[in-house]
Amino acid sequence: MRINTSRFGRIDVDAADILRFPSGLPGLEDCREWALLADSSNDALGWLQSTTRVDVALAVVSPRRFVPEYQVRIPRSELSPLSIDDMRQAQVVVIVGQNGRGLTLNLKAPIVINLEGRTGRQVIASGELPMQYELSLERPPLKKSA
Amino acid sequence: MLVLSRQRDESIMIGDNIVVTIVDIRGDKVRLGINAPSEIPVHRQEVYEAIQRENLRASRLEPGDTQDIGKYASRSPSRPGDAPRPR
Repeated sequence: MRINTSRFGRIDVDAADILRFPSGLPGLEDCREWALLADSSNDALGWLQSTTRVDVALAVVSPRRFVPEYQVRIPRSELSPLSIDDMRQAQVVVIVGQNGRGLTLNLKAPIVINLEGRTGRQVIASGELPMQYELSLERPPLKKSA
Repeated sequence: MLVLSRQRDESIMIGDNIVVTIVDIRGDKVRLGINAPSEIPVHRQEVYEAIQRENLRASRLEPGDTQDIGKYASRSPSRPGDAPRPR
């Protein structure tokens, strides 16, 4: 499958690598189909590219590589639409953002991917977690307040 | 908007499987109990709206913005398969 993107040009994606997000994402409700791409210059980074909107892509990372103490608790109601009953079937990534001070990670609302079913969903994790965890070389401890 | 008056321990039903109960009223704070099927997520509106804003902001990120992100990463994934997998 060939998709057009504003960031990466025209790319070929295996149909098996397309992820369906049945509810879209908050704010991007119309984007239900995404391709997970590897970043060519950085192995810690991936991109979720909308297959229908050329200009919509989200940078994603595995949170534990950046915040080793991150432990995500997700209410069952958030997981049941994905047909996940065991988190071992799931891959968790978080969205990279940017604020005035630098890059941030949205630890409050990770994306859970059902690897077998190729479906995904952005969920709201339990507990006090920041939506803008600022990346820094000093590795700030995971603050309890958002 | 439909407006209903309820007292403590009274409920409203939405459809035939969502029940919202007034659990407690103290001053200007109301505690609600929500019984809904597990596939229906329930969120505080301000949290949901904050995620919408955050997603829209994040969707404007360009590859040039993230080129230094590797310096913040630990050297190896904490467990195999934990990192975003290239296709």
